Amino acid sequence: MNIYGNYEQSLHKVMDQLLHNIQELNEDEVNHHHPKLYEHLISRVKTPASMTEKCQRKGYPVTTESALRNCKDAIGVRIVCNFIDDIDRCLTLLRQSDWCDIVKEKDYITNAKPNGYRSYHVILNVTTPYKDVDGNVPGHYYAEIQLRTIAMDSWASLEHEMKYKHHIKNPERIGKELKRCADQLASCDVQMQTIRQLINEHD
Amino acid sequence: MRILLAEDEEQLARVLKLAMEKAGYTVDQVADGQSAVDLAKENAYDVMILDIMMPVKTGLEALKEIRASGDRTHVMMLTAMAEVDDKVTGLDAGADDYMTKPFSLKELLARLRSLERRNDELDKDILQFGDLTVDTNEQTLVSNNSISLTSKEARLLQYMILNANKDLSVDDLLNHTWDDDDESADPDDVWFTVSYLRRKLESVGSNVVINGEKDGPFKITE
Repeated sequence: MNIYGNYEQSLHKVMDQLLHNIQELNEDEVNHHHPKLYEHLISRVKTPASMTEKCQRKGYPVTTESALRNCKDAIGVRIVCNFIDDIDRCLTLLRQSDWCDIVKEKDYITNAKPNGYRSYHVILNVTTPYKDVDGNVPGHYYAEIQLRTIAMDSWASLEHEMKYKHHIKNPERIGKELKRCADQLASCDVQMQTIRQLINEHD
Repeated sequence: MRILLAEDEEQLARVLKLAMEKAGYTVDQVADGQSAVDLAKENAYDVMILDIMMPVKTGLEALKEIRASGDRTHVMMLTAMAEVDDKVTGLDAGADDYMTKPFSLKELLARLRSLERRNDELDKDILQFGDLTVDTNEQTLVSNNSISLTSKEARLLQYMILNANKDLSVDDLLNHTWDDDDESADPDDVWFTVSYLRRKLESVGSNVVINGEKDGPFKITE
């Protein structure tokens, strides 16, 4: 039995339901002749091994309770958008949804991390037909949603690659270049957003 | 500063070289126009001081050749000729400044100092305004967050900040931000650049705003 106990299957089902709900939000937008909400979605359930590692790192007891309550990112969904404003549209729709409550928001777009990381993080409390760790039906599961543009996503992949290479000769220099690159990508995102807005003003 | 001095009167050349070296400048001295052209090709100078009447090639001929090669160094002409026409010819040929002999050494050194101050100011890449820092060298805009600027955005923003709280017309901005070589620049360029800057100011979380409608005038305020 792993750290998720009897709930591992439910986690996958909740994730599928969450993806389905987000896809539905997109379909509604498209049906109303609005641009699509996002470019693509990716998702994962954190592996039991890395969840165990996380609980140990955070000093939580290695229990299913810790994994599903203290940690809120067992389920993770990333919404990758074309433009910055699409992120705002997604957020507005999520805030209005009746199948989830927003527990926490972290805006790393307005307040980029010092290394240049940009993304918008939201923790959702999702209501589901499945029993939760407290024995409730309908059950409540947490999920972390990361919203970012394609440019921010590419940047994060590159930064991730660097983080896991341990024999980089000059990490400070590479870090500086990554930061500069993040600022340039942010500049392009803003530029594309502005052009899009100027195009739409002429409608 | 490194200075090229082209002067064929031996006595005067020696005095000038000595005085400028004493003021801390590095001076290369030649005595004819051709040598001036040759050295200008070889070395990077901050200032060139050219006498007009020189053997082999006159200062004017040398100047024209130096400019034709694309060299934009500050050039000061020295001459005994005090006619207005000569000054006009020199300035039109690409000179930046003019001194008529006899001139005082003090004045020459004061002009060099003034030039040095100006160059230093232009090198000052970091501009502060309200909660904003603009680094025109790195081309970044920093407040709560940071973002890159294009060269046009950086120049436009710099000009607006140096003239903060003043109404600046579209023409004004066009003339100060787009080079003469960019003949195709039009008021739309100003509008797009202002639009980008507005979003960027917002995205770094600054309180600084650019006011104005599409046809201008524009004004930057805290």
